Amino acid sequence: MFISGIGIVFTRGRGIDSLEKALNQGWSSPSLTGPIPAYRVSQETLTDTSLSKKIRRADRFSRMAVLSAVDACRDSCINVNERGKIGIVLSTAFGPHSTTFSFIDDILDYGDANVSPTKFSNSVHNAAASYVSSVLGSRGPTITLAQFSFPFQNALVLAGLWLNEGRCEHVLCGCVDELNAVMEYACKMKLKTATDGKIMPFMFSPAPLSVPGEGGAFFMLSKEKCQNNYGEVTGISFSGKTNGKPDITIIDSDGMTGDETLYRETTNSTVAGYSPLFGSMLIGSAFNFAAASLILKNQLVYKCPVTDNPSGIKLCSTTSETGINQINCVRICGTGKISTIIMQK
Amino acid sequence: MEDSKEMSLGGIRKLLKDLLVENLSLEDIQPEDIKDDEILFGDGLGLDSLDAVEIVVLLQRNFGLEVRDMKQGREIFYSIDTLARYVHGNIKK
Amino acid sequence: MKIVISGIGTVSAAGINLSENLDSLRHGKRNSGPVSVFSSCLSYPVFEVKYLPEKWKIDGMRTLSLALAATEEALNDAGLPKQLSEFKAGVCLGTTVASQLNDMDFYNSFRKSGSADLKPVDRFLRGNIAEAVAHTVKAIGPATTVVNACSSGTDAIGIALSWLKSGICNVAIAGGADELNRVPLCGFGSLGILSNSLCAPFDRNRAGLNLGEGAGILVLEREDFYIRRGGKPVLYLSGYGSAADAYHLTAPRPDGKGLESALRSALYDSGISPEEVCFVNAHGTGTIDNDKVEGSVLSRVFGENISFFSTKGYTGHTLGGAGGIEAAYTAAALKEGWIPASAGFACRDDEIPLTPVTENTDIKGSFAVSTSLAFGGNNAAIVIERA
Repeated sequence: MFISGIGIVFTRGRGIDSLEKALNQGWSSPSLTGPIPAYRVSQETLTDTSLSKKIRRADRFSRMAVLSAVDACRDSCINVNERGKIGIVLSTAFGPHSTTFSFIDDILDYGDANVSPTKFSNSVHNAAASYVSSVLGSRGPTITLAQFSFPFQNALVLAGLWLNEGRCEHVLCGCVDELNAVMEYACKMKLKTATDGKIMPFMFSPAPLSVPGEGGAFFMLSKEKCQNNYGEVTGISFSGKTNGKPDITIIDSDGMTGDETLYRETTNSTVAGYSPLFGSMLIGSAFNFAAASLILKNQLVYKCPVTDNPSGIKLCSTTSETGINQINCVRICGTGKISTIIMQK
Repeated sequence: MEDSKEMSLGGIRKLLKDLLVENLSLEDIQPEDIKDDEILFGDGLGLDSLDAVEIVVLLQRNFGLEVRDMKQGREIFYSIDTLARYVHGNIKK
Repeated sequence: MKIVISGIGTVSAAGINLSENLDSLRHGKRNSGPVSVFSSCLSYPVFEVKYLPEKWKIDGMRTLSLALAATEEALNDAGLPKQLSEFKAGVCLGTTVASQLNDMDFYNSFRKSGSADLKPVDRFLRGNIAEAVAHTVKAIGPATTVVNACSSGTDAIGIALSWLKSGICNVAIAGGADELNRVPLCGFGSLGILSNSLCAPFDRNRAGLNLGEGAGILVLEREDFYIRRGGKPVLYLSGYGSAADAYHLTAPRPDGKGLESALRSALYDSGISPEEVCFVNAHGTGTIDNDKVEGSVLSRVFGENISFFSTKGYTGHTLGGAGGIEAAYTAAALKEGWIPASAGFACRDDEIPLTPVTENTDIKGSFAVSTSLAFGGNNAAIVIERA
């Protein structure tokens, strides 16, 4: 499965170029204005006058999905209408909860019979994928998944199965999650916050610190290698065992899923972790995967944004050109189950 | 009397334009740009079936009016003018 | 590799297990009433599950309760143990309500005071439907929840089919579940598509849908695995198709091309032609738009003589549960050789080229189809085969 296009919306902006810029610039402070430090997406990032009419009703969640999916499509140079059916897999942990709460506001303020149908329609989890398919005119299989443990990995698995089965030639596969006051309150109460705003991926702590983030990351995945190519996904394992030794292991440690001591056992190659750039998210794997894609394409290893390393493991501590053949992207969920995405150039 | 009825109708038109722009997320349009005889659906303002049910809720919330039958709704929602006249006429009752 | 349907479980207003459900269908029992599981000023008729088994009543997690009750029945029907840790088992379930953090007391407290008891959040985090069912039955394979609105259950079954064919797992629990909840009741009401009377799918005078709740679960197995453990296949899940309308957030594509594409994809996946299908369990919600589009497409794909029906007159529209419940009914109908009358239908609509069956009807044939059309323009279809 080849990665032929990437689109991203996150705290540092929109587009794969904005992630590349962030990887080169390094860590920057999250917003400190809310109840906790958080990496939020600005309203400016979500504005696109060329799409205004098509997404006028779309909420923030759907906008993040549309902009990152459209950008992935543009980045791939694949014409949706010309190149056969395109599937869409959107995965999320929490869905468009802001709109759900806004709809509940209507119920509480106006009564059961006086609520907004538009808000309700947007609160249904698959609204975002619906906007994506409408904007792109894509009529292939379209699925929205919701889960807490491996949202990105399960989406990738499904995309791979569809490509192998010939249901489509390409799949737009991505993740979206958003923040709002309620979510930040829950994070404040349930997680440990990094008050200085720095996620530290290499502490391997049983009680790691987090800085919640939000955003969308979409990938155009293709059965055949395309004109634009970042690299190839050659395997997705849930057993903890993989073939081959990676040049780099990127780990998803970001304080979001509790005890991170098990990540220490995955560090038998050079290690990286880029969550300090985009924030703690259950969909964080998608953003680390985007970073890995850039590394493979550019054959450039990016310095880890936060390098605190009490265990003394081997880190990507400088940005340098170097031959990279294989990257493993590792996520360990709260139950201790491990997933590895194997990527090759 | 005729003048005050017309002013009131004008006031309703303005209010409706403000409500539509705000609640239907009509970006790139200012309320004052919407003509009184602007057709709301199809080729006019380009509203659709979801907007229609949203307008039903707006009428309920802002004027206490119920539109029970969407076939009747099609006539009422034809243009800003027909909508305003409906509101004006039923509020008087 | 063929995929066997080895077990079926279903809970709905029509009954607490498959046998009771089928009995209601056979006798035309429509167990609707006003909302009682929560308070609302809305008086639309709904289809509630009246008798949830005590052992599965989990406070604040009604959708999970329904899913577990149906899963237990399905596993029992399949002759599988309650715990699946020795198998490579996956869980793929569809839902809408269980995926939302929609606890109104929680949110009301937060919006008033900026703080709230976090127990609803904890329940939400424990209650992802597929993850929770997988945890309960100790399934160690893939687990994912599909949130594709009204086609979630059918799509979940389709995903499980892909998993099994690829060998990611040997067994899968697949289907959907949804509880009756105040949020969708208010939401569907605001869209103007809830009927004040019992729904009448495909009828000329249909006036909208009735909401319902329930769960429909299939146990699916790779045929080699099933035979090795002593099973004799009777039913197969032979195909799945999915396609998007790319048209509108709530209204179906008037030309029905999305549903047609999903249907043809499912038939192609099964390797059969439309003529080989002996009946269709339609989505048939009772709304003006859905039934008109769906009826036209069924006519176009299968011809005007295809036997079809909607069971939403017996269960209401169970949203994420619909695809699962209707797959269960389709499988059972194919196995038993009869299909139920399409509840609520009396008068032909001249704008729909065909009419559903109006009596319980014996059927002969090897293949049946179940269709689902969802908000957001998702269309899905599965094909079930009798051995």
